[in-house]
Amino acid sequence: MKFLFQFFSSLKLTVVLLSFSLVLIFFGTLDQVQYGIWHTQELYFESFLVVWTFPEHAPLGQHLNWIRIPMPGGYLLGGMLLINLLAAHFTRFKMSWMKCGIFLIHSGLILLLISELMTDILAVESQMPVDEGGTSNYSQGFRENELVFIDRSHPEHDSVHTIPASLLKPGKRIDVPNTPLSIRTVRYHGNAEIGRATSGSPAESIATRGAAVRMGIIVNPKPETYSEDEINTVTAFVEVIKGEDSLGTWLVSNVMDERFPPQMVDAGDRSFEIALRFPRHYYPFEIELIDFKHEKYPGTEVPFNFSSEVKVTHQDSTKNQKALIYMNHPLRYEGLTFFQASFANQDKTSIFQVVRNPGWLLPYLSVLLMGLGMCVQFGMHFFKFLRKQRG
Amino acid sequence: MKKIIYLIVYGIATLVIMGGLRSSKVDSDFDLAAFAELPVQVGGRIKPLDSVARNTLLILSARQKVVTDEGLTLSPIQWFIDLTMRPEVADTYPIFKIEFPDDLGLVGLAEQGQRYYSFNELLPFSEELRRLHGEINPAPELRSPYEKQIADINNGLLRYHQVMHSLHPVGGPERLDRLVDEYQSYLATIQPGMAELRKQQAGEEFDAALLKRFITFADDYLKLSTTAHLRVVPPPPPVDPLEDWKNIGLELLDVMKDDPLSPYVTTYASLTMAYRSGDAEQFNREVSELRERFIADFPDDISRVHYERIFNGLQPFYISMQLYVLIFLAVCISWLRWPRELAKAAFWVLVLAFLIHTFGLLSRMYIQGRPPVTNLYSSAVFVGWGAVLLGIFIEKFFKNGIGAAMASLVGFCTLIIAHHLAMTGDTLEMMRAVLDSNFWLATHVVIITFGYSAIFLAGALAILFVLLGVFSSRLNKDTARSLSAMVYGIICFGTLFSLVGTILGGIWADQSWGRFWGWDPKENGALMIVIMGAIYLHARWGGICKERGLMALAIWGNIITAWSWFGTNMLPVGLHSDGRMDSAYAWLIGFVLAQLVLTATALLPWRFWRSEFGQANNRKEKKRSLIAAENAEA
Repeated sequence: MKFLFQFFSSLKLTVVLLSFSLVLIFFGTLDQVQYGIWHTQELYFESFLVVWTFPEHAPLGQHLNWIRIPMPGGYLLGGMLLINLLAAHFTRFKMSWMKCGIFLIHSGLILLLISELMTDILAVESQMPVDEGGTSNYSQGFRENELVFIDRSHPEHDSVHTIPASLLKPGKRIDVPNTPLSIRTVRYHGNAEIGRATSGSPAESIATRGAAVRMGIIVNPKPETYSEDEINTVTAFVEVIKGEDSLGTWLVSNVMDERFPPQMVDAGDRSFEIALRFPRHYYPFEIELIDFKHEKYPGTEVPFNFSSEVKVTHQDSTKNQKALIYMNHPLRYEGLTFFQASFANQDKTSIFQVVRNPGWLLPYLSVLLMGLGMCVQFGMHFFKFLRKQRG
Repeated sequence: MKKIIYLIVYGIATLVIMGGLRSSKVDSDFDLAAFAELPVQVGGRIKPLDSVARNTLLILSARQKVVTDEGLTLSPIQWFIDLTMRPEVADTYPIFKIEFPDDLGLVGLAEQGQRYYSFNELLPFSEELRRLHGEINPAPELRSPYEKQIADINNGLLRYHQVMHSLHPVGGPERLDRLVDEYQSYLATIQPGMAELRKQQAGEEFDAALLKRFITFADDYLKLSTTAHLRVVPPPPPVDPLEDWKNIGLELLDVMKDDPLSPYVTTYASLTMAYRSGDAEQFNREVSELRERFIADFPDDISRVHYERIFNGLQPFYISMQLYVLIFLAVCISWLRWPRELAKAAFWVLVLAFLIHTFGLLSRMYIQGRPPVTNLYSSAVFVGWGAVLLGIFIEKFFKNGIGAAMASLVGFCTLIIAHHLAMTGDTLEMMRAVLDSNFWLATHVVIITFGYSAIFLAGALAILFVLLGVFSSRLNKDTARSLSAMVYGIICFGTLFSLVGTILGGIWADQSWGRFWGWDPKENGALMIVIMGAIYLHARWGGICKERGLMALAIWGNIITAWSWFGTNMLPVGLHSDGRMDSAYAWLIGFVLAQLVLTATALLPWRFWRSEFGQANNRKEKKRSLIAAENAEA
């Protein structure tokens, strides 16, 4: 027991863990070339173990492709560092004025690790495009997808039944929540190209119902992209089952959006619209884009400022407000933060990044603690050194 | 003796400064200084023609002067005025730098030892060069050095051509000597020409000769408007600072829309004629008239433009670069002879060089209206500045020359890096919208760059420790202790700055993208520096590493910082890059290899260490192993 405590509280362990972190971050940066930031983050920093492979596309890639380096992932290292830090404070540290700087730094660090974990788990990012003069009351995720069954029979509201796309594993049967239906995924493509069958090509399709049959749509699977500015066309063939009877197989894809006629599943007494789409987050307020500005430096194409003048209309009218959203000046509203992210449509549409992150204040707190701690700690060292020099 | 040493060191320093200042003076009857200050809008900013001349020369020749075949040295503005107003003369100036002319395979071009070529020398090969250019890899980052050279020459020729057409249409002497007449006859042709054009379109009878003359003008100026590189024509008053300026061709074309012709266009024409005929009086009058007009239209900008021209001429970074070399040499000599006097003199020269460096930094801030670090070039200037500042503090406390020597070394190296980064063009460019925040540039960027300064300085001191310890007999216990203290102090400092800078970066990211940490390569690089600092500090506090182990860690700090500073910028983006083997990449790899060799040297067994410090450790180690052996026997 004592040995365990000694091991977990030792400074040697700290140094070893920190060195591993250095290695992890280095390779986690290198692999972004192949996998993009988002995927690399999941592989390296939100994992317990990761294996780096020498990339095929790098110089000498063909010959060195067999090189593999396993290393502990971010969760493992972060967790170990946390234990190490706590154990050290319980066993070795005695509170004294000389140590208060270190204590502050470490508590800031603990807070930072916790806040990062919270962000990983709790934060939700989505986008909201709004046209000039138009309004929007929902935002859309852009990385995950979901399979939805929408019942539009109620005159007041629609009821939406969802299954995350990550659960669509071929052959697996899943019940659609709160409906008499269940589904079986026949085929699933993380990315695909979708087009009309031309007269020459055989319209080979396993769909038996819906738009795929009516319009002769064919699917060509593609490797998934990890690029920041491309979107995977997630596509699936889904068999819908009621009781033990198959109702047919539908083709669903996130590019088949509102521009397509809705695909209906007739389940006897009720009928549902079936679609694969980006998850939507609805809000009790509307954002109206009054004006979007995109200014450039004179004589160049280099942007100088993007800004969106918006009006927020809440169901509770006491919460209505106007705001100007521009670079480095987001709108924080109802636990959400709206950032100027992008624009489209010849500067007529503004796209906001909408982030819900309940832990957003924690890093600020941790920064204060660490900064203060470092100033105290190094300040004390410095003055001691000065006294020695003089003495 | 003492006094003589001081005199020698200060004398050389004075010579260096005087040399730097004198090179900016130009003797001419023409008021070239006023001409150099005429305004042009480039990259969203109003700057003097002088800056354009210098940047163009830097790109074409990799230096800021022209040496003619007769051995005459021309200043950038002298070259620029010849290029635009006497192109037939400028075409003979050797200004295209070709590093490996033999590799091009152009028979008859390359001469032994010739690195600079004139336009006229390249002219016979233009067809061939264009053909070669068509064959090279279209993706710039995948080009071999040979292909890069071909692309550089072709781009250089294009730029040469564009800049030549900046102030007026170019042609033979018969055209350039009659520019004012040309504009007048063009203005007189517009109304009737348009009328004839309308007649032609309506199918009525028209004057073919008149229409042809009009269309020739229009075609020519249309071509000019796509070629002319510089926006030298400000909009008519009242002036909106965000309005686009026009190039000469565009302004001439817009006269057809009933806009009056800008007096800038006509004045440049008469300037050209005056310059060509050698009429200095007329030239100076026209220049000062143009200048007065600019002052009247842009009262807020004139002082900045004036200052930029003066700043260009002073070249403070070149002066401080030379002083850093002087300091380094002086300290090195001081370790052999006259230690106290030379070290003291070196210290004061260091302070002077630092002040000049600071002056350059502040001048750039004033000209750009920004905090000091806005791009890679300015970060290099700032890293050196920070290291020298820290070095001055170290020198003040330890007074043994070590701080001064290493600070001047880092200062020199970073200014060399900056000099090479400047080859790509304007170093005072505008910031993209997301970076457009003086508050965050002033806090996050400055602090993190200062962190680089500290880690590099610590790394340089660690290298000195290793070199002195292994290869010389000069490292004794006291020097070793003071070097350790210096490295420790500076790494504390560097870690503090890197941490605070990284965290501020996180806050900035939270403000602009909604995430505190996004694992972006540059962020990761900054975090790696912080972790490296933490490793060093914990290894020291825990007694896990002794002096030389810590020095090895400090040298590793160099690798991590270089990666964070440059490596992350070189990461190819996208799936299809095979890594870019351009010169910066090779330099980075070389630097990292050198640091690895130095780390290995630091870890050599004590018996290879020549110094007193190494020998003492060697004896200690032997004794320890003897005792261990005895214990084992007993």
